[in-house]
Amino acid sequence: MAGLPIAIERSLREAGSIAHFAGRFFRNAFHPRFAWDELLRQCVVNGYRSLALVGITAFIMGLVLTVQSRPTLARFGAESMLPAMVAVSMVREIVPVITALICAGKIGSSMGAELGSMRVTEQIDAMEVSGTNPFRYLVVTRVWSTILTLPILVVLADVIAIGASWVGVNMRATVSWSLFQQQVIDSLAYSDFLPAFIKTYLFGLVIGLVGCHTGWHAAKGTAGVGRAAHKAVVLGSLLVFIIDLVAVQVTDLMGFN
Amino acid sequence: MMARPPSTEREHVVRLRGLQLSFGDNHVLRGFDLDVHRGENVMVLGRSGSGKSVLIKCVVRLLEPTAGQVEVIGQDVRALDDEALDRLRVRMGFLFQSSALYDGMTVQENLEFPLRRNWVATTPEETDARVEEALQAVGLAHTRRMYPAELSGGMKRRIGLARTLIMKPEVVLYDEPTTGLDPITSLEMVELILGLQRNYGTSSIIISHDLNVAKRAADRIALLHEGRKYTEGTYDELRASTDPLVQRFFVMM
Repeated sequence: MAGLPIAIERSLREAGSIAHFAGRFFRNAFHPRFAWDELLRQCVVNGYRSLALVGITAFIMGLVLTVQSRPTLARFGAESMLPAMVAVSMVREIVPVITALICAGKIGSSMGAELGSMRVTEQIDAMEVSGTNPFRYLVVTRVWSTILTLPILVVLADVIAIGASWVGVNMRATVSWSLFQQQVIDSLAYSDFLPAFIKTYLFGLVIGLVGCHTGWHAAKGTAGVGRAAHKAVVLGSLLVFIIDLVAVQVTDLMGFN
Repeated sequence: MMARPPSTEREHVVRLRGLQLSFGDNHVLRGFDLDVHRGENVMVLGRSGSGKSVLIKCVVRLLEPTAGQVEVIGQDVRALDDEALDRLRVRMGFLFQSSALYDGMTVQENLEFPLRRNWVATTPEETDARVEEALQAVGLAHTRRMYPAELSGGMKRRIGLARTLIMKPEVVLYDEPTTGLDPITSLEMVELILGLQRNYGTSSIIISHDLNVAKRAADRIALLHEGRKYTEGTYDELRASTDPLVQRFFVMM
C-alpha cells in the first residue's frame, strides 16, 4: 500500500509524457517538408506486412464465433440468425478490437524496439545533427502509417471473418454464398459499420503514438530497448480497450447501439 | 610556405564562453572557454567522465547548456530556432564514437540520407558522384551495398566520417575518433582527419585520449579539468610543461 502513491505518480507522469508527445505529433503532422518516401515505406512495413497475420486471425475468429454460437441459437430455434449475429458482432466490435490488439503487439512492439535501438546507439542523435528533424522523419511517418493502414486492415479482416463464418455455417448445414451474403448485407446498417470504422483511426493513432513514445524515450542499454517494446504492447493494448469503452458509451448516447 | 597569422588574428569558427552544464547536482561543465579558428584542429583532453563528450554535444546543441555562450560560424547556437539550427548543423559534421550508422540502411543509403533530406544533390548522378567521392576519401568505395552489421569497427568509423564529409562541413566535431581501433587503423583515422583539414579547410574539435591524435593532428590542445579549461597549448608546449597535472596526463598517455 505504501507503494501506491508512487505508482500513481509514475502513471500520471507517463500519461503526461504521452500527451506531450501527442501534442508534438499534431504540431508536426502537416509540416511542409514531409518525408513521403518514409511514410510509404512504413505503410508497407506496418500495413502490408501485417496482412497475413491479421487475415489468419480474422479467419479463425469468424469460424470460431460461428461454431461456438450455433448451439445457443439452435436451442432458441434461431439458427437462421447465425449469419446476421456473427456479421454484426464481428463488424461492430470483435474484428476492430482484435485487429488493433494484434497490431499493438506486432507494430507497436516493433516501433518501440526499433526506435529504442536507434536511441541507445545514437542514430537519432546522428540524424538530428545532420540537419534532419528525427521526430518528423521517424515518429510522424510511423504514426501516420498506423492511422492510415489500420482501418484498411480492419475492413479486410471484416471480409475475411465473414467469409470464415460462411465456412463455419456450412460445416453443419448447406447455405449458398449468395444467400449467406444477402443475409449479412440485410443485417448490417451504417450504424454498425461507421462507428467501428471511425474508432479504428483512433486505435491506429494510439498504437503509433505509444509505440513511438516508448522507443523515443528508451533508457540506455539492451534492457531499455526490451522494456520499450514490452511497454508499447502493454500500454497500446490497454489504451485500445479504454478507447473502445469510451467509444461504446458515445455510440450508445448517439443511439447507434 | 607562408607562416600562419597568430591565432588571435584569425577568424574563429567556434567560440565558447563560460559554458556550464549540470545534470541535477552533478556540475559537469563549470565555465569552459574555447576558441577554434578557421582551419584549425583543437583537441580537448581530459579524464574519463570529465565532460568532454558533453562539451561537443553542447556545441551542436544535442544538449542544452545551463549557462554560457556557444557561437558557431558567427551564430549564437542557443538563440537559434529549430529551422535555423538545422541549417547551421548542415554546415557542421559530427563523428560519433559509436559511428551511429543507420543500421537499416546500406552504406550507400547512409551517405545519401543527409543529401536527400537536405536537398543538396538534385539529380541521382550528382548524388552518386558525391557518395563515390566521400567513399574514395575514406578508402571504402567497395562497401556501397554493405550493411553496417557487416562492417568492422574501423570501417564503421570511416563510413561515419564519410557520411560527415559528404555535406562538406566547415566544422567537424570528433568524439573519440580512434578509441577502440588498432594502432594502424588509428593512424589511418589521424591521416583522414589531417586530410580533411588540408583538402577541405575544415576546422575541428577533437575529443580524444590518443597520444597519436594529440601529436599528429592537433594544432592546439585544451585540457579540461573540473569543468573548466585548465590550460592550453601545442603538443610540444604541454609536453614540456612543469605543471604536475599536465605532466600526469602526458606521462600516463
